[in-house]
Amino acid sequence: MQKRNSRIIIGAFFIAAFALFLLPSLVPGIDASLAFADEAAVASDADAITYAPAPKLTAADYPTIPGVNSRVVVWIVAQLHLWFGAFVLAVPIFVFIIEVIGMSTRDQRYDNMAYEFIKISITAFSLTAILGGLLVFCLILFYPDLFNYLATIFKGSMFAYALLFFVESAVLYVYYYGWHWLQGGFKKWVHLTLGLLLNASGLLLMFLANAWTTFMMSPSAVDAAGVFSGDTWAAIHNFLWNPINIHRTIANVAYGGSIVGAYAAFKFLSARNKEQRAHYDWMGYNANFIAIAALLPLPFAGYYLTAEMYVYSQQMGITLMGGVFAWIFIIQAVLIGALFLSANYYLWCGMGRSEGAHRYYPYIKYIAIVIVVSFLVWFTPHTLVLTNAELKSLGGPYHAVLGPLGIMPAKNTAVNLLILFTFLSFMFYRRANKIATVPWAAKGNAIQIALFTTGIINIFILGTYYGYYTNTVYKVAASIPQVLTTLVIIAISVAIDAFMYKGAKEVAPLRWGRVPARSQYALFLLAVSFTWLMGLMGYVRSGIRQHWHVTNIFRDNSPDAFTPGLGYAANVISIATIIFMAMVMFVFWLSTISSHKSKTAGYWKEQGT
Amino acid sequence: MNNFLKVAIFSLLTIGAFTAYSNFGIPQIVPAPPPVEEELDLGGMTMDQFIALGDKLYHGKGTCTLCHNELLRAPLLDDSVAMALKHMSDPNYKGEATNVEEYLHESFVKPSAYVVAGFGKAGSNDTESPMPDVSGGGIGLSEAEIAAVIAYLQDISGSEVTVSIPTDVPEETGDEESEGGGGRAPFESAEAIIAEFTCGACHKIAGEEGEMGPDLTQIGALRDRDHLRRALLDPNAEITDDFMEGMMPAYGDQLNANELEMLVNYMAGLK
Amino acid sequence: MIMIKKRRIPRLLQLVLVVLGIYFGFILTFDVILGQLIPKSLLTMYMFFVISGVLMVFTFTEESTQELIDPIKALVEDPSKKMLRNIVFVIVPLLAGLYTYSSLSLSFEAPVELRTIHPAPPSKVKAYGKRFDLATLENPYRKYEKEDPDKFRELVKEGGDVYIQGCQYCHGDKLDGKGPYAEGLNPTPLNFQDVGTIAQLQESYVFWRIATGGPGLPAEAAPWISSMPVWQDFLSEDEIWKVILFLYDYTGHQPRSWEHE
Repeated sequence: MQKRNSRIIIGAFFIAAFALFLLPSLVPGIDASLAFADEAAVASDADAITYAPAPKLTAADYPTIPGVNSRVVVWIVAQLHLWFGAFVLAVPIFVFIIEVIGMSTRDQRYDNMAYEFIKISITAFSLTAILGGLLVFCLILFYPDLFNYLATIFKGSMFAYALLFFVESAVLYVYYYGWHWLQGGFKKWVHLTLGLLLNASGLLLMFLANAWTTFMMSPSAVDAAGVFSGDTWAAIHNFLWNPINIHRTIANVAYGGSIVGAYAAFKFLSARNKEQRAHYDWMGYNANFIAIAALLPLPFAGYYLTAEMYVYSQQMGITLMGGVFAWIFIIQAVLIGALFLSANYYLWCGMGRSEGAHRYYPYIKYIAIVIVVSFLVWFTPHTLVLTNAELKSLGGPYHAVLGPLGIMPAKNTAVNLLILFTFLSFMFYRRANKIATVPWAAKGNAIQIALFTTGIINIFILGTYYGYYTNTVYKVAASIPQVLTTLVIIAISVAIDAFMYKGAKEVAPLRWGRVPARSQYALFLLAVSFTWLMGLMGYVRSGIRQHWHVTNIFRDNSPDAFTPGLGYAANVISIATIIFMAMVMFVFWLSTISSHKSKTAGYWKEQGT
Repeated sequence: MNNFLKVAIFSLLTIGAFTAYSNFGIPQIVPAPPPVEEELDLGGMTMDQFIALGDKLYHGKGTCTLCHNELLRAPLLDDSVAMALKHMSDPNYKGEATNVEEYLHESFVKPSAYVVAGFGKAGSNDTESPMPDVSGGGIGLSEAEIAAVIAYLQDISGSEVTVSIPTDVPEETGDEESEGGGGRAPFESAEAIIAEFTCGACHKIAGEEGEMGPDLTQIGALRDRDHLRRALLDPNAEITDDFMEGMMPAYGDQLNANELEMLVNYMAGLK
Repeated sequence: MIMIKKRRIPRLLQLVLVVLGIYFGFILTFDVILGQLIPKSLLTMYMFFVISGVLMVFTFTEESTQELIDPIKALVEDPSKKMLRNIVFVIVPLLAGLYTYSSLSLSFEAPVELRTIHPAPPSKVKAYGKRFDLATLENPYRKYEKEDPDKFRELVKEGGDVYIQGCQYCHGDKLDGKGPYAEGLNPTPLNFQDVGTIAQLQESYVFWRIATGGPGLPAEAAPWISSMPVWQDFLSEDEIWKVILFLYDYTGHQPRSWEHE
């Protein structure tokens, strides 16, 4: 049972990944036609549109309200909008996949879970819209000239955005309220199509909004004075648009998974009976699986985005990786470490669901050692913070042992091991309640052990020999075979396991709901860390524009044009996270009260007696 | 409710830990404030001040050192004059410059005219430079500022500064009355300059009868303005026969650009 | 099912021992065996994640968690442990107070600065009004080491005189960075006897550092708090090259050169 579930989930994940890659290629067509429609409309009014150059502002051009820091307000509102947007965008993606799984397996549990997911997101959807409205309001209020400038260039896509929003709302409401009506046979297919439509419009909405953001980072079709000279599509299809689209889509799925996981954890903790606990435990497990599966490819998407930033502007790339923002990647390392540690802990705790897992308990500590050591290496900063006494003792800020750990080859090696051993945790978990019965089980295990061993040796050799004893060209290039090694190990192991555990004997039943409450806090940690991490990376993405509204063409001359330091940013992000968490709690609470019914005997007039 | 509180406290503690780490766990680097858009007062500048301006632009607004530094993201420019001469004769050179000054100017606004081997954009096989046009958006150096950077580069290369301070930049000259030239009041006329620097002690000029240096009473007929300007800025560049080298100080360096032109015009008129 | 065998060490004590073991393991490895101390700020973060990891391993099963919590519960609830409880309840707040006091109390230590002492050298430097290409710059007297040992000894001796006149006040008469003024300086004068200093550097790098001193450090090495004087203002080029000969000769180090790599 469990095996089939996960096989389906993995299959669905690949379908989703495929769909995600397909979507961006479809979008230009749709977008272009929208753009043409707009242009045609405009062209009938005036033959040629001339755009004004970017205004040169002074501090007096920015309206202020005494006691209100306009930038922080816009920052927090935008961040909240983004969090909710990411959440409501991601949920339909995996709701759709889970619905497909439920449909093909005819296992109603999946359908119920999918329905519950969309139920959570429905309140969040309206909150997203409200926050989006608030963001526009704040922008018009505090940054009227910037808004005006962007709105002039993007008027076509902004209008399309508003229309699309109506479409998405309509589809969502039919999809949600029609869930129980559109069941069985043809009706289910209609419902599924609605789900696809919902996702398509949702992604399109995000891509449109991304274009406004990326235009501010990498403006296209503008001259040095900021005079725009293209059509809507030219503005949308700017340099960083696609990298951001890919990165955000994947990150949204991971993020949505973590938030749903937190929801399941909360429901689990407050569950009153065994059935509920089992249900929410199962839901939490699946949500965690989604989050981690989407988390693993995220570093590569991030790497692609960063590389594109370098290509677009070396100055932007150097600003990102050095100077002020250099330490942000240490904080990021801590946060991602927290994500990995909590994901592993959740898996280990989950082994308690089956008695069969006891066989694997002794190995856990070794996995833990590798994960913690890898993480420590990953976390070691290149520039150490030293007190003067330590400086004197070391004779300089370079540490003979820790210094080499601070550079990329060590970190690449560490992160590959981190991923590999997290995968190992997952494999142990999967095998917890089963014993392979195929005749070649011993051989299969031996192959896997050999695979892991050679793979790890390979990663080490690539990391140490090529990382330290060759020139820079090889150093950088060595990270690619490292990643490939990791991926090959994971792929082959999954394949071997799939065959080896076909019809495997179940040694002990998997008892959903039998996990300690501690494990649920791991899910909360995952959600909180994810939220905070998104805020942090949003800060740096925006921060690398420095004192420009639109990079290099529209200068920010407001009193808040300065780039905030890390501590300042962290405080803003924390406040925003707390507000977001409070709102999420509210959303979760709303989804529970709809099922509560209070007895009101004697309150209402008795009818018909 | 109990669970709710526990979860809330747990989340707050987590957020608190992240905040504390970001504030106290790592060194706080205060980002540089946005660069100030300065108004230039070129008219009131001496060549040394002009070079100093170039130095400041080179390290500041021009953001040159972001790449042109010891990490060698771009070639070092400490010997740019020699480099320019070499590159101009390179078959790969695609520009139109005929001298160092023009070459440097071209390299600022059309960086791809010549790409030093190994420094091209990835995949362009050194045909395209990753450097932006410095007169454009992000950096936005004006013509005068570019000239100042060229002057600076020529100076640090240890060679002659051929750039002249642009004086015809109306928007940027700023306030006419602004103080320049090292704090002294600007000279009103060429005669005042000649009197101040006692040119007549050595030269025959403006009614004085000095004999240490060449006779300047008809110098406008013998030399053109460029020669005169150079003679003021670098008196030893060319010595008229029978006169000793190293006698005359570079008075031109103590004049601001307007004053220098005033004096050159005056002298050119002596026929 | 696992670990049926009777454990001698209680789980809680195990945990404490493991954490302490790792803590002192770090200190032993870095400070004693490797002789490169582990920075306190880094150790704190390391220990934070080590403790997280250890706690994760100790608490992922129900039985193990119970074993961990039971003694703590007993300490708080068991009436027979009143004495111990009182002691713990006094000691723990005191320890917390002590830690808080010691971390907040004022000290004479200067604030922490991020500084690069051995920055990457520029490829060319300006000194004596000339341009030196550090990649190709060589000590003009190095060749005499083989060609004319007597002359070389003479040059080293002259270099020694220069050192005694100018350098030993800070860098010490044994070249160990412990001159009479060394204690007053921060960063401390370089110890040339150490294998990590001039032994790792080319003569041209040493020439650059001597000729341009602290003020000649590149921006990367900010803040420029090094007190090394700008020796090009006081010594001739030859004198610097001679003193470099002396530095290597006295310490027995060989300058780094690219040919041997």
